[in-house]
Amino acid sequence: MGRLRGRRWRILLPFAAMAIVAAAIAASSLAAHSASVIRLAIMSDCKGAFGGAYELDIGGAEAALAQYAHGKPVSSKKPSAGMTGITIAGHPVKIVGYGCGNDTVPVAISETKRLMEQLKADIMIGPLSGDEAVTIAHYAQKHPTKTFIIGTAGSQDPTLQIAPKNMFRYHGDGAQWNAGTGILAYKKLGWRKAAIIMDDYSFGWTSAAGLIADFCGAGGKIVKRVFPPLNTTDYAPYVQQLPAPSKVDGYFWVVGGTGTGPSLKAYESAYGKVDPKKFVGNLFFFFQSGFADVAPRLIGAYYGGFGNAPGLKTAGAKQYEATMKKWFGPAGFNVTDSFVYNYFNAAHALVIGLTKSGGALGASLNASLPRSIKAGYQVSNGGQVKLDSNRQAIADQYPQQIVKGPDGKPAAKIVGYVPGVDQSFGGFFKKTSPPPGRSQPPCVKHKFPWAGHIKAVQNGVITKKTIG
Amino acid sequence: MSPFAWHPRPMSEKNLVELVIGVTLLLFLAVFPVFGVGYWVSFVLTQTFLIGIAAASLVFLTAYGGMVSLAQTALYGISAFALGNMVTKGAVKGLHLGLDPWLAVVLAIAITTAIGLVFGAVASRSAGIYFLMITLTYAVIAFTFFGQVTQVSGFSGIAGIADRTPALVGDPVTQPNRLYYIALVTALVVYFAIRHVVRTPFGISLQGVRDDPVRMGSLGYNVALHRTLAFTFAAFIASLAGVLYGWWNGVIAPDNVGLGATVDLLIVAVIGGLGRVEGAWLGAFAFVVINNYVRDVSVPVLGGSFNTVIGLIFLAIVIVSPSGLMGLWDRLWDAAGYREGSGPRAAAAAGTAGPQA
Amino acid sequence: MRRAVSAFDWRLLVRRLPVGVAVGTTVFALVWVLFWAPSTNFGPAIHSPANFLITLLNGLTLAALMFIVASGFSLIFGLMRVVNMAHGSFLLLGGYIAYEVQQSMTNGGGLTVFSSQVNAWDWLVPAIVAAAAIGGIGLVTQQVFLRWNMGQDLRQALITIAISVIIADQVVAHFPLESSIEKGSAVNTSWPGAIDRLVNLHIAGVQYSVARLTMLGLGVAVGIALWLWLYRTKTGMVIRAGVDDRQMTSALGVNIQVTFAIAFVVGASLAALGGAVFTSYAGVNPTTDGQWLLNSLVVVIVGGLGSIFGTVAGALLYALVYNFSISYLPTTGGDCCGQYSPVLTFVLLALVLAFRPQGLFGRPA
Repeated sequence: MGRLRGRRWRILLPFAAMAIVAAAIAASSLAAHSASVIRLAIMSDCKGAFGGAYELDIGGAEAALAQYAHGKPVSSKKPSAGMTGITIAGHPVKIVGYGCGNDTVPVAISETKRLMEQLKADIMIGPLSGDEAVTIAHYAQKHPTKTFIIGTAGSQDPTLQIAPKNMFRYHGDGAQWNAGTGILAYKKLGWRKAAIIMDDYSFGWTSAAGLIADFCGAGGKIVKRVFPPLNTTDYAPYVQQLPAPSKVDGYFWVVGGTGTGPSLKAYESAYGKVDPKKFVGNLFFFFQSGFADVAPRLIGAYYGGFGNAPGLKTAGAKQYEATMKKWFGPAGFNVTDSFVYNYFNAAHALVIGLTKSGGALGASLNASLPRSIKAGYQVSNGGQVKLDSNRQAIADQYPQQIVKGPDGKPAAKIVGYVPGVDQSFGGFFKKTSPPPGRSQPPCVKHKFPWAGHIKAVQNGVITKKTIG
Repeated sequence: MSPFAWHPRPMSEKNLVELVIGVTLLLFLAVFPVFGVGYWVSFVLTQTFLIGIAAASLVFLTAYGGMVSLAQTALYGISAFALGNMVTKGAVKGLHLGLDPWLAVVLAIAITTAIGLVFGAVASRSAGIYFLMITLTYAVIAFTFFGQVTQVSGFSGIAGIADRTPALVGDPVTQPNRLYYIALVTALVVYFAIRHVVRTPFGISLQGVRDDPVRMGSLGYNVALHRTLAFTFAAFIASLAGVLYGWWNGVIAPDNVGLGATVDLLIVAVIGGLGRVEGAWLGAFAFVVINNYVRDVSVPVLGGSFNTVIGLIFLAIVIVSPSGLMGLWDRLWDAAGYREGSGPRAAAAAGTAGPQA
Repeated sequence: MRRAVSAFDWRLLVRRLPVGVAVGTTVFALVWVLFWAPSTNFGPAIHSPANFLITLLNGLTLAALMFIVASGFSLIFGLMRVVNMAHGSFLLLGGYIAYEVQQSMTNGGGLTVFSSQVNAWDWLVPAIVAAAAIGGIGLVTQQVFLRWNMGQDLRQALITIAISVIIADQVVAHFPLESSIEKGSAVNTSWPGAIDRLVNLHIAGVQYSVARLTMLGLGVAVGIALWLWLYRTKTGMVIRAGVDDRQMTSALGVNIQVTFAIAFVVGASLAALGGAVFTSYAGVNPTTDGQWLLNSLVVVIVGGLGSIFGTVAGALLYALVYNFSISYLPTTGGDCCGQYSPVLTFVLLALVLAFRPQGLFGRPA
């Protein structure tokens, strides 16, 4: 460097500093990996349409770790502040990071890589939403030594079409969540001809598939399917394509995420006030974690559940709710929300699995993860959620209704109990059949296993009365 | 003066220092996988190389063609979508044609370059902010097209691209070093290709078109054709990044070409510096590292997530050094020389190193 | 001579081709919608005039909202050459502020109040507060971040991108303010009860929303107010002079900096006003900012940057093409074709730009 006159070499100092920092980072990520520590990642969304569910998801998972694995929340108000002291089968468990998705595929995959490769997690609980789960299922296929327990995602593919051996789901998919609701529209509301409007992507299609299969299975006809793109600025032209209220008995409304409110407002400016008896929705009609703002105009309407049963008066439900309140009561979120519930069950299953495997990971953990777990809102099968051969839950579902609560605000009420719904709808959806889409499934009459076994639920008690 | 003209002219002191830094860095990168950390090889650096290639196509257009394009993300996405549709087979979304992996690569690059030619021809009459706008509509067309046309993608995108790589690439998950070196070599080839192209007669007249399109037009140069060809060349470069991305990520989805991703690539190029091609990779590195390592940081008082932190960092860079990190380096160099009073040339250079965008 | 003549004809043809294509396309689209339209949702307008009228009104009312938002963007760009990439974030924050004010005025308690409980003031005050607040934020943005680097187009655009990233994250972190609701939730406000109803237009039996018609009226009012301001007041004159020749205007002794500040405040306030309207019309959520940045960009790109008439034309073209293509593209099964409307819309815009790079009403750069 003889030609470097004076003190120009100083210019290289910043580079040297950067090199040292880089080396330190590299060294630290090499060093920290102690063999006996089990490394866990929790993947959720902190941005985008479901950004509001971040603390709920983490809270649900951490409550189970606190209850069953000695974890201590750093803050009972903010789950994402972290957790210490988790121990399973003598092994310390470290939450290495929280994934922050935004409901898009690219961020889901880069967050997964960060958690599993940079932070070297062995196990992931997550993700939150449908397309994210599809992507992570493909990732799981390529990383057989890691274990993935889906947090609360409703797409069908991860456990039906893709179904990697190291991926588990202890809750229903979007179609399962709606099981029984189409039958209710037919039997209880007397619909024969209906139109459906659905988000034009995999969760919208899957969720709609549950309603269509059920309603058509009972003998109803879908006369029109309309599919607006996600994040549509103006739903008016799509709503206009729906037959007028005088032409159909009702509408299945499968517009969700952030579109529920705008699409219903577009309906009202086209046809006047919403008549709750002419609307059946999916879980987005009363979405405790944020979209409750559209609920007031829908008091009286039925909608498909989310696998949860707020207000169910069974010992299991009460115990689950008490557990959640005990650990994260001060956080102020609705513990009956399925975001919380599904992540809770995922983490609970993980504790059972790790206990059985003695802390062993990979194939051994996959083999040890329970094929049935006791879950708060599960009643049939002795209160056990069973997994099918694709490691997908067979779980009870609860069609719900929006009612006026005691404080005058809208509240969710369970109206039906649909026992033991499986992902294939008793063989209706197959690995080889076309996945749910704009025109899938077709509208055909079909008897589903739960038809004739849906029981009425009154004041949170499952009665003997059959309603569909 | 072109900053790259080290040959055959005698090297300036700065060129020499840059050459030494560059070669050292390259040697370091060449041996890095041997002792490096897996995540830095497979995630940080491989991603840096391929994002840098896409950013380099933008820097090339900006620095030598005077065209700030927002379509580069769309073009690299198109390449990855084309690859995904042609190479995958079986139960995945898209056309899953199951073509030979190399054939699919060649076709993906050819298709993207052809689309770049069409896009470029349509946009070639626009300049400045209008060019920025029309290329933005390209980005939106790509996003809505792949989101809505479920035959070729749909919102969940196309997965399984990494399962069908050529034998040379292997499985990027179990053999990340291969893709690392392929991306590194591709980045080098792109770097030298750009440096070469800008010194050909075409490159020189392109810079003339950038500086004074009216005069070049009256001198008989076909201004629109120069712009179109430059855009096509940039599309070709972007398509290489797209193929690498497909292999590296395995999944391509419409949100890869959405407004957010489009702006991200612009941020990468700006952080690095829009004036110099090297900046593309510097910016990509800074972007990837910031995105990964400020996740748990939050700003006191303001609150919010790391996105606020990223916004503040980006704001600071744009305010302090509009010509990015490369511009900062140029200014540091000049400032260091000025303090030591090492001659009038350095002093003059320092005087002209004012902010420019 | 023959060769020269033939070459001349070729050029003439090429030059007139765009106009020909445009006229041809428009005529075809009109004939299609009015008389033909096989296998579409409603059939041609002569068979179903009601649906045609509703589609037209949907387009016009959407155009009015787009105009309100985009005119602010266009004003800022026209005068200062600042591509304000934070415009969508201004709208988003304005929408949340309007929501919070309406909540506190009507004791909503975190739920949408019914329009029957909302009077005109409960709507107007939130909109005005939102516009004023965002106007203030706009002023700070302009004075702190954009005043000292005039003329550096790209740098200013990038600064506003950084600001938009920060605002978007801050909104998700803090809104809605009610502690019982998850942060970053979608919210909406209600129209006043008086306009939240349908009115019989007595044409083809169409019942149409008074709220949407009010929105159209609001758009027209904003347009007229802007026109009066720009063309009938001294400030407006200075702004127009500044758009034409910034240096000459300041050389003539006009304090152009004050004018810049005023224009930026007005532009930002218009984004917030649009946000307040959109919050009643559809609702805001954390993805609204990108969506409306895009809408604003498209409108001003097509219309021509910096021209108020261009913004009107751009908003009309964008909103009408969007609405008519959804309703009048053939539907031949699940995968065709109405859902391709967004793609078609943007392809059309790219074509407009290909033939008129400066937009419909813009002047060449």
